[in-house]
Amino acid sequence: MKRFWYLRRGRNRVATELDEELQHHLDLRTEELVAGGMPPADARREAERQFGDLRAAREYCRRQDNEKDDAVRRQLMFEDLIQDLRIGWRGLLRAPLMTMIIVGSVGLGIGATTAIFAAVDAAYLRPLPYSNPDRLVRIYTDAPPNRFLFSVADYLAFTEQQKSFERVAGYTNRPMAYSDGQVAERVDARIVTWGYFGVLGIRPAMGRDFTEADGRPGAQPAALITASFWKERLHEKPDVVGSRIRLDGADYTVVGVLPAALGPLEQGRACFLSAQYATPPRKGPFFLWMLGRLRPDVDRAAAIDELRAINRRMFPIWRSSYQDERATWGMLDLKTFVVGDVGTIGGLALVAVGLVWLIACVNASSLLVARVTSRRRELAVRAALGASRGRVLRYLLAESLLLATGATIAGIPLALAGVRIVRAFGAAYFPRTAEIGVDGPVLWLLIGLTVGSVLLFGLVPAVHGGAEKADALRESGRSSTASSGVRRLRRVLVAGQFAIATPLLVVAGLLLATLSALGHVDVGFDTHSIVGGGLSLPPAQYPDAGSLVTFWDRFRQRVESLPGVAGVTFSDSRFPDSLNNFNNFELEDAPTPPGKGQPVVPWVAVAPDYFKVFGLTLVEGRLLDERDAAEQNVLSVVVDRAWARRFFPNGRVIGRRMIEGGCTTCPHTTVVGVVSNVKYVGLDKPDQGTVYTALSPASRVSFISVRTSGNPSALIGPLRQVVRELDPNRPFSTVATVDDLIDTSLSGRRSLSVLVSAVAAVALLLSAIGIYGVMAYYVQQHSKEIAIRMALGGGRGDVFRLVVVQGMAVVTGGVAIGLIASMAATRAMASLLFGVSAVDPATLTGVAAMMTAVALAACALPARRAIAVEPASVLRDE
Amino acid sequence: MKHQPLPLVQGTLDLLVLRALVSGPMHGYGIAKLVQERTEGHLSIEDAALYQALHRLDRQGLVEAEWGPSENNRRARYYTLTAEGRRRLREDTANWRRYARAVEALLGEA
Repeated sequence: MKRFWYLRRGRNRVATELDEELQHHLDLRTEELVAGGMPPADARREAERQFGDLRAAREYCRRQDNEKDDAVRRQLMFEDLIQDLRIGWRGLLRAPLMTMIIVGSVGLGIGATTAIFAAVDAAYLRPLPYSNPDRLVRIYTDAPPNRFLFSVADYLAFTEQQKSFERVAGYTNRPMAYSDGQVAERVDARIVTWGYFGVLGIRPAMGRDFTEADGRPGAQPAALITASFWKERLHEKPDVVGSRIRLDGADYTVVGVLPAALGPLEQGRACFLSAQYATPPRKGPFFLWMLGRLRPDVDRAAAIDELRAINRRMFPIWRSSYQDERATWGMLDLKTFVVGDVGTIGGLALVAVGLVWLIACVNASSLLVARVTSRRRELAVRAALGASRGRVLRYLLAESLLLATGATIAGIPLALAGVRIVRAFGAAYFPRTAEIGVDGPVLWLLIGLTVGSVLLFGLVPAVHGGAEKADALRESGRSSTASSGVRRLRRVLVAGQFAIATPLLVVAGLLLATLSALGHVDVGFDTHSIVGGGLSLPPAQYPDAGSLVTFWDRFRQRVESLPGVAGVTFSDSRFPDSLNNFNNFELEDAPTPPGKGQPVVPWVAVAPDYFKVFGLTLVEGRLLDERDAAEQNVLSVVVDRAWARRFFPNGRVIGRRMIEGGCTTCPHTTVVGVVSNVKYVGLDKPDQGTVYTALSPASRVSFISVRTSGNPSALIGPLRQVVRELDPNRPFSTVATVDDLIDTSLSGRRSLSVLVSAVAAVALLLSAIGIYGVMAYYVQQHSKEIAIRMALGGGRGDVFRLVVVQGMAVVTGGVAIGLIASMAATRAMASLLFGVSAVDPATLTGVAAMMTAVALAACALPARRAIAVEPASVLRDE
Repeated sequence: MKHQPLPLVQGTLDLLVLRALVSGPMHGYGIAKLVQERTEGHLSIEDAALYQALHRLDRQGLVEAEWGPSENNRRARYYTLTAEGRRRLREDTANWRRYARAVEALLGEA
């Protein structure tokens, strides 16, 4: 009763009642005064005088009443909402299968989208975790199309002359052997110039930063260690600052410990050593990555101008060892450098999981539309009993709100699990995985997805259900005439599902085709029987060529005596993960025209038996031998077929001469042989030609490759044992079979393919559920019609065909739209494809066929139910 | 009347209105009359202030308003104490008494 009264009472009502009350008071007072003998006109005035400020009182009371009214109204609305939710909850419990499908699929969409977004957010959207990261840049030598690193000469000249940067620093990474006195371990060290941490704005948590004095040649070598190095290797020794650590056999003084949280550039580094650079005798080699912090008042164009000017000034000084006059210096935002090309892969993954969420919502929408339809009578009764259209709408929205909340609750653990997975395995294509977390923008996305879900699958059925008129009461429950609009809506929704699922399947198909093509690339040798690892011998323990040669010789002898070893060889690069050298050269017969850069190709130093161990065939000329390795200069090289075809497509290659590395004082280098190709630059890259030189027997760093006659993995243990016996302080790094290395190099692509395929499978399943739902409903609604047909002698085949054709019309439309959409979409991912076209006809046909097959199966189930109808029983029920 | 009626001490109006309603539902005019009679005209309560107090107490949920027939056969708004209002009256009465005693004790010394 009271509730009714409040719902009816409006603002006007409040004012009228107040006036009536006050009027009544004045009347009573006047009557009293008149009774006391006062003339009525005076009495009225006296009553008003006694009352006081009528207008102010009226205003005050009205405000109080309105406030109370609002409070009551809010309270009632809240109670209504609770009631709606309770009714909705009970309703959902009565349809457990539908509830589970919606909560599960939308939850999956929300969870996956959140996890991928968290990764993209950390990699792409967030500023770098350094102080004022927008002023940080990477500086490089710019010789289009290549970008080179800096040399020590570059670094020294640049730091001395530049004025645009607050501070600049260079760094280079180096794997080193850390020894605690008993065992040696490989640690990833970084050699930095003293200003490195100043540039990034990182302060040590303990001790001090490097100073200019640490960078002077001859100073005591200084190290800054990471918090994890301190914890894991030094067991949080309290007096660590000032103590010494042994790296590659040399002592370094620990001057400080870095904070636990560093930036993406530092990921994976264990310790930082202060570089000590003296003025070098020649311009190269180029191995320094450069960082700079721009002064706040300097704009980028001016800074670039200054970079070029310094480069021009120093060019003449080094003319004797460096001729590429065209090369200049450039810079780009550090963030652009760190982010890399995460855009394509991250974007693709995000779009894929976002589409699954969308398709799950559309599926839910279609299921809920069906539910509204089957409850038309219930809703009509509610409307007839006085529930306003808004109330019915609210009731339906409450149901959607419950479903969306359920989906979000289901999605959160999925999102957290997804974040854990990306953190653990996503480093292959997402930088900054350590920073991935569910906070800030990620939480907003989660909230947005929940609200979006409510609106997406709530509004369509709600608007539809709300529009139901009381006419529904008059119709028979089984009548289908009024629901043709609903049927059309559901068909559109299901067609939409297929239209979204198709591109996902196409993308998944293309990625799988790419993966398969990469797995079948001929890398140039038999990968199944090669196993190897890397070793580096530091000068502290191997001071001269003699000690180096002795080590490698003993190593070779030991390994050759292991059972199952068919050959051992050495090189300075390794397929497929470590191509360490590129070199430029000038052909005698084809000088580089002015204004163009010299050609640059992979440059691999190998031991004489390398070709034999890897099974490369000699096409022409001779292989390298011990005499070549003994030469001071590179006099003879072997090239591969691709090189020969690229530079001398029509002529003889043997005997051609070149000047390598821009060295004008060196003697000419002659091509003495041509061998078959190896895909050093990558499985998915075209061959650009490789040059092989002879590896010095006294090299410090080398990859060891062993050809086995049996299972190569079985040799990993014995190989490690040999190294341990020869030098217990030498960590043997990245020991693996070539097959495993190829596998690792494809892991990024593989997990992307798995993700997209899983997503596409879910999309396909949801679409199948969608079309099944529509057709099952169709059969139920048309059971009378079907029964009549069959009673009149219609064949079961006809009925079956009728139902299937109805369903397939919807599916075909959706798939057709989807195929057109995917042709447009796959062009954007061309950079991820290899060996398959973005509009690969086989993939497109295959996807269309697969979707048709699944849809046929989904339509066949209701069609079978249709032909199982007993005409007599259906018609009797009527 | 020997004295001018005293203006009301701040905050006591609500207490007086609540007290007036202890005996049962009353409309605004009835409360005004009751206060006037009980205090023998020593306290002056403006009608305007009285109605403001009533509507304020209504909003606070200390009294409840309902329409009912009045003496002159018209519709009047009758106010009733709510349980919350009764509790407030008890507390405020006790507070007022303590306050008055404290003031009295101080003035008694003069």
